[in-house]
Formats: sequence, structure tokens, C-alpha cells
Amino acid sequence: MKTLVLGLGNPILTDDGVGVRVAEAVRQALPPEAPVEVSEAGLGGLTLMERLLGYERVILIDALQVPQPQPGRIRHLTLADVEASAPTQHVTSAHDTSLVTALTVGRRMGLPLPRQLVICAIEVENTVDFSDQPTAAVAAAIPRAAATVLKMLTEMEEEPHDFT
Amino acid sequence: MKQISIDPITRLEGHGKIEIFLDDAGEVANAYFVIPELRGFEQFSVGRPAEEMPRITNRICGVCPEAHHVASTKALDALFHVEPSSAVKKVRELFYSAFYVADHTTHFYALGGPDFVVGPDAPAAERNILGVVHKVGVEIGKQVIDARIRNHRVIKTMSGRGVHPAAGLPGGWSKAVTEAERQEFEGIARQNIDFGLFSLKLFGDIVLGNPAYVDMIVSDAYTHRTYYMGTVDAHNAINFYDGMIRVVDPDGKEFARYHPRDYTQHVAEHVEPWTYLKFPYLKGVGWKGFVDGKESGVYCATPLSRLNAADRMATPRAQEAFEKLYETLGSKKANGRYQPVHYRLATHWARLVELLYAAERMLELATDPEITDPNVRPVVTNTPDEGVGCVEAPRGTLTHHYWSDEKGMLTRVNLIVGTTNNYAPIAMSVKKAAQSLIKPGTVISDGLLNRVEMAFRPYDPCFGCATHALPGQMPLEITIYDAQRKPVERLRRP
Repeated sequence: MKTLVLGLGNPILTDDGVGVRVAEAVRQALPPEAPVEVSEAGLGGLTLMERLLGYERVILIDALQVPQPQPGRIRHLTLADVEASAPTQHVTSAHDTSLVTALTVGRRMGLPLPRQLVICAIEVENTVDFSDQPTAAVAAAIPRAAATVLKMLTEMEEEPHDFT
Repeated sequence: MKQISIDPITRLEGHGKIEIFLDDAGEVANAYFVIPELRGFEQFSVGRPAEEMPRITNRICGVCPEAHHVASTKALDALFHVEPSSAVKKVRELFYSAFYVADHTTHFYALGGPDFVVGPDAPAAERNILGVVHKVGVEIGKQVIDARIRNHRVIKTMSGRGVHPAAGLPGGWSKAVTEAERQEFEGIARQNIDFGLFSLKLFGDIVLGNPAYVDMIVSDAYTHRTYYMGTVDAHNAINFYDGMIRVVDPDGKEFARYHPRDYTQHVAEHVEPWTYLKFPYLKGVGWKGFVDGKESGVYCATPLSRLNAADRMATPRAQEAFEKLYETLGSKKANGRYQPVHYRLATHWARLVELLYAAERMLELATDPEITDPNVRPVVTNTPDEGVGCVEAPRGTLTHHYWSDEKGMLTRVNLIVGTTNNYAPIAMSVKKAAQSLIKPGTVISDGLLNRVEMAFRPYDPCFGCATHALPGQMPLEITIYDAQRKPVERLRRP
């Protein structure tokens, strides 16, 4: 089963790049022979949808901004959650379209989209200052978020969920 | 005084918002297009090795990292005083042409096109690429996705990464093109030409074939007479990668023609208290406020502006499309060139003309004997000091300006990004559309507000880029304020 763990964000915009850092931690935690591709990207919308083509299972890791954040709090989201109320920083790129819309387009065209897709979201504090260091609370959450992603990988194997 | 706030704007990066103030009579008194600030890019860059900048600046924006990468690489050429070889320039331009095809495709089919293909008054939930696919059919939708995917494959092959390129070097490019890759790129370029022609036909059938849409394009609500800026070659044809900056006045007469490194002699920035972003204007005319005309230093740098600033396109099919645009929209020829088209909504059409040009230019480059030259990584030994790099980004003229010490460590950085050039014209367009569409007693409907949004959508403003940020969620919120600036109604859509 072809699996992708994709950290999203900008690694030089303080907390915005937390997804990228968690992905790196996941990469280091996985054994080299693990049948999982771990990567990072700063993109959204159609481009993100196209990045997911050909994979059967995908875990996205992204920063999440909410009105009263608890920086470092980790949330396990589905696409339905994203569509309903809590978009993470990068699964919605208004410059082309949201990931939800892009996936709908892809499905309508019969593209090889993942059958399972979940999101590990980390609540963040600062996405407006350029820095290659996340804030303390968000930095502290990186090992926990990586552990969450590793658990999600296991759960996806045990509980296949067809989001299509 | 009543205030209508469109916050943030649909289908765009960042967190911009529109605020419209009504007077006691219900007329639009003023309109503001507000962009938030993201902080500290220059401080982040200073002290770093200059050669890192092509890989840092392409993180500024998730929409056009390729434009930042190439502008930054050209700034390094100048900083290190190295003239790239002809082969290097062609490799970079081939890469850049593939990017242009992908980017313009996305804008037309996902951002600008829905207003026409689906309709300006269609429900917001349908005015997106899904609505376009529903209207034109799945097969055409597949062509759109295929166009994006094949050109992103070119970008990845040529630059090492699919999203954030990593190939730009001072005076060079880290990876030469192999013959097998060249053959693939040639095939992709031919597909791109077919796609460009198809997209122009689609525009002709759906938009130009609908008198109501044509009336809207040429309506006063979406018209401004300003100066226009674009990069041109020695024959005054558009070039996205390199050339001289040309500015024409509202009548099409050349006002300035200068090397990009001299931008500070021609462009200054005006500051307003209500926004963090500055408003560039032409120094030679001066800042006269947010007003049209030859006496106002406001200029515009968009696909339509580039067409207006140029005398011609450099490739044959794009030239045919260029002539059709000007003839159809009633432009007269003066001094051997078409007079500018001032209808801002025609920018969507101009973008498709540019898409076709990028495709044709890509084919020229992919079939150029020099394109597979293996010698694209020169050794640079000059002492760096200061350099300016400039390209035409899809959203306007993009300038990177770096200063460094003798070891190449950055001491100062300045960027003028595409959207920034257009900040004043965007503000003017929003105000004019609001004034034209919102009258005393007008019911503020979703469709009406979309028509206000349509005033700035042709500019394809990238707030993330303009403010050095990456994209977030962009729902639309409209707040209407009364004469005391208290909110009396709030609309929000996803």
C-alpha cells in the first residue's frame, strides 16, 4: 500500500512550518525499510491534490490557526472537519482552490487519489514573522506530533477508512 | 457613513479585505483594499550567504516560487558580476516558460474564468473550478489538470524540486538538459500550444460570444486609463525572462525605457496610513492620488499591461491572438502600434494570449541546439557587492535587489513583487466598481459583491507574496457599517 506522510508549511515563517519539522521527525523515527514516503511541501489547492496522486494512504501535517489557540495542541482532523470548520494553514489555498474542492475535481476526473486521508494539525501562535525557529510551545509539540503521526499510520492500517 | 467590508476576499492568498464606506445618502464615499503585514523578511535575510537567496525567496510565496527563484538567481548574476552564457539563459527561460503555462492555466480556469464561464451571479459555491468543469465538461477539466501536471513535471525535472526550485546559481543553473529531457519538453511544448489555442477558443466562444459579458468587459465600472509597465526585448516584444522595462502612457506613447537595475530612478513609493503596503508610482510623473490619467503617476503591471507596454508578441500565433484582442476591443493603431486597452476585465483575455506565447517560446527553446549544452555551471570568482534581478512574474514586474559584503554575506535586501506594483490600480478598481454598482437603496447581494471582487480579480493579486507570507484560508466576509461606522449586517461565505 503506497503511503505518503506530507508535512506542509513554510519553514522560515516561525510556526507556519511546524508540519515540515514534524515530518522530518517522523522520517527519523521510521525504520529505513518502512514502506512510507515522508516529504514536505509549501503548497495547497490543486497543486497539493496533484502531489497526492498515486498514493493510497496520506497523512498531512499542517499548522492550524484558531481564534483562541492553545499553541502546540495537536488535533486529528479528517477532510470533513476541514470542510466544515477548521481549515489548516495549507489545505486551503485560495489562489487556486481549496484542497477539498481540488479533491472533488480530481475524483470527478477519475484521478488516482488516496483512499485514506487524515490530517495531523498543530495549533500555532505566530505565522507572520520570518524566522526559522518555531515558538517554544509549538517546538515542544513536535515530538508529540511525530508520535501522533506514527500512531495514525498504525491506525490507518488497522481501520481503513474510505474517504471517497 | 455606512461601511461594507469584504473580508477576506475569496480565491486569493493571505488575509486581505475590502472596506467600502457609504455616505449618508448611500453613495460609495470611499473604498479601501487592505493587506496585512508579515514581518521581518529583510532581517531574516541579512547576514546569510547571498547564494542561498534563490532557495529562500522561493519560500516567500507558495504561488509563484519559480518567479522568485529566477529573479533571485538573476540578482546573483549581477551581484557576482557574471554574465550567464546564452545556453544558461535559454535553460532558465525554458523552465520559466513551463511555469508560466501552468500558472496562467490555473488562474484562468480556477480564479478568473469562473466569473465568466459559470457566471458572475452564480452562487459563490459554484464559482470555482468545479463549476467550470461542470459547465464545460470533464474532458476539458482533464485537459486543465494535464496541462498543470505536465508543466510541473518540466519544472521538477529542470530544477530538482516540483514546488520550490533549487537550481539557480550565480551565472548558471545546476542541471543541464539531457537530450531525452529535451525531447520530452518539446512534446510538452507542442501540447501546451494546442492547449493555449484551445483556451483562447473557449474564451471566444463563452465570453466574447455573450454580448452581456462583452458589455461588462467594456463597461466604465471596470475601466481605468493609467500608465502600463512590462519587460520588452530589443523589438519591443514581450519577454518574461529578460529585457528592458518599458512604460507607456495611457495613449500608448513610450514614457520610459530603462534597465531593471535603474528602477529606483523611475519608481518611488507612496505611503498611506491605512495599509502596511506601499504604493509604487512613476517618479517622472509624481503621486497625484488614486486617480487615472496622464497626470497621475499610477501605473499598472499585469498581463494586459505587458501587452499594452509592448508593440507586439515575439511568436506568430500569440501575435495573431494579440491583434485579435486589440482589434476586437476597438483599439486604434498609432505610430505603428495599438493604443492601450484600458478595460481591466480584458486582463483575463491577455493572460491567455500570454499563455500561448509562453507555450510557443517554450517550443522555440526546447528545439534550440544550445538547450542541451552541458556547460551550465560556471565557476564564479568575482567579488560580490550589489545586484538587481528582474523578471516578469505572472502578477507583474518582480524585482530583487541585494547588497552584500565582499564575502557575499547579505547586508541589505529589497524586493518589489508583482502585486505591489498594482496596489494603487487595484484600490482604484475596487472603488470604481463599488461606486458604479452600489447605489442608494441597492440590495447588497452576493452577486453584487462578487462584481466588486471581479474588479480586482484580473490583477490576480497575491497578498502572500506582497506581504511576504504564505497562504491561509480565505473565506469571504462582508460587513456593512452604518453612518456611525457601526456594523449593521455581516455576510460570510466559505
